[in-house]
Amino acid sequence: MSIRLKNIWFKYPGMDKWVLENISYEFKERNIYVIIGPNGSGKTTLFKIASLIYRPLKGSVFTWDRDFWRLKDKEALALRRKIVYVHEKPVFLYGSVLYNVAYGLIIRGYGKEDAFRKARDYINELGLTYLLNKNIDELSAGEAQLVSLVRALILEPRMIFLDEPLAHIDIEKRKIVLDLIFGLRERIGIAIATHDIYLAYTLADEIVLVENGKIKIVEREDLLHKTMFQRKITRYTYIADVLEKHNDISYH
Amino acid sequence: MFNDILDITLRSLWISGSATIISSLWSILLAYKLSRSSGASRYVIPLFEALIGIPTVLIGLLLYMILSSRGPLGVFRLLYTPYAIILGQAILVTPLITSLCYRVFSNSWNTFGELAYTLGASEKQVMTIVLRESIPGVIAASVMGFSRAIGELGIALMVGGNIRGFTRVLTTAIALEVSKGEFETAVVLGVVLIVLVVAVSFSLRILKRMYRT
Repeated sequence: MSIRLKNIWFKYPGMDKWVLENISYEFKERNIYVIIGPNGSGKTTLFKIASLIYRPLKGSVFTWDRDFWRLKDKEALALRRKIVYVHEKPVFLYGSVLYNVAYGLIIRGYGKEDAFRKARDYINELGLTYLLNKNIDELSAGEAQLVSLVRALILEPRMIFLDEPLAHIDIEKRKIVLDLIFGLRERIGIAIATHDIYLAYTLADEIVLVENGKIKIVEREDLLHKTMFQRKITRYTYIADVLEKHNDISYH
Repeated sequence: MFNDILDITLRSLWISGSATIISSLWSILLAYKLSRSSGASRYVIPLFEALIGIPTVLIGLLLYMILSSRGPLGVFRLLYTPYAIILGQAILVTPLITSLCYRVFSNSWNTFGELAYTLGASEKQVMTIVLRESIPGVIAASVMGFSRAIGELGIALMVGGNIRGFTRVLTTAIALEVSKGEFETAVVLGVVLIVLVVAVSFSLRILKRMYRT
């Protein structure tokens, strides 16, 4: 059960340079993938292709062993609904937090009342009741990121792609986000694009480096010296706290 | 004098309002089509952006030649009627509304379209979301078109003829009063024109805010 990219080539309209060149990779369920790489290296493009938003110019995307871009609308839609991509800079519809969280459910055929009830219960369950009736314009960057994650998770995807989920948010919110991610790792596939090497080191089942349109699997040990360096700069206690909670191990 | 000003103001409103509505109909459709085709938009949009600043007298002159009795559309006897001004103003604001709406739709596809896909929307649902979220931007584009239409002079003068009680609008009336040396009346008409433009813009801004909340 996976999303398999086979010989993917992609470039944006009007550009000469390929953003991704002959990429083949597989994202499986119940695994955490961390994608690292410099800005503009193609991490987001890779995610958008894997989450079926962009169609590759060459190559195939196999979702649960079906060649997605050759499928008929109905079947393609059913598969697309198993995958959610969360933007680095969250995009919201005009309206309240509750409306935005409920919207994905409405799209999937829930009645308005049911969708709102489910969204309200879910937000309350996560201890985010204070966000419920806020308007989207009133959210801080961190709150917006959190809401976009909640909006994705309520859809119960089989695979989720998180583009820089910890960017722009403070440590307290990072704890909540990581807590949510750890809570899911046994059930769904998670792919995270980040610049945070320590996060990659501690979180990933597999680390992938995207650079100059190509990908490379990175061994954990190769990251270690960079990680130690970063550790000296910040203590990363928030990650340790979450890891302790989920694994019952002290990382301090 | 008050009745004259009211008459001219109402005529300006319906002529420029009609021109904006007519132009919006085809401009919005065209902009939506262009936002979905990367090839055509690469050439059409820069051309339209260049045409935004086209002198109104040039459109007036072209329209005059087309609508005059010897012109290809002379048979319709539209010259020196309000309909000629409506047609001219609709043509005038087309590049402006089209290019603004094109930006709105393109941005909407990139942001809301993508969001809709990530939330699992069908093609039809994606289109509905994109169109719905584009409404405030499309309204803003039409308001800018209206402001451009009601404030133009060249077309109204050349194909309207500034006929009292028939084709006289605020801008042509101002030009006439200045040429007569009646500066007071011209200033009053100018103030009415500015108040109209500002009032329309503000009321639509309020509407836009209400829509968003």
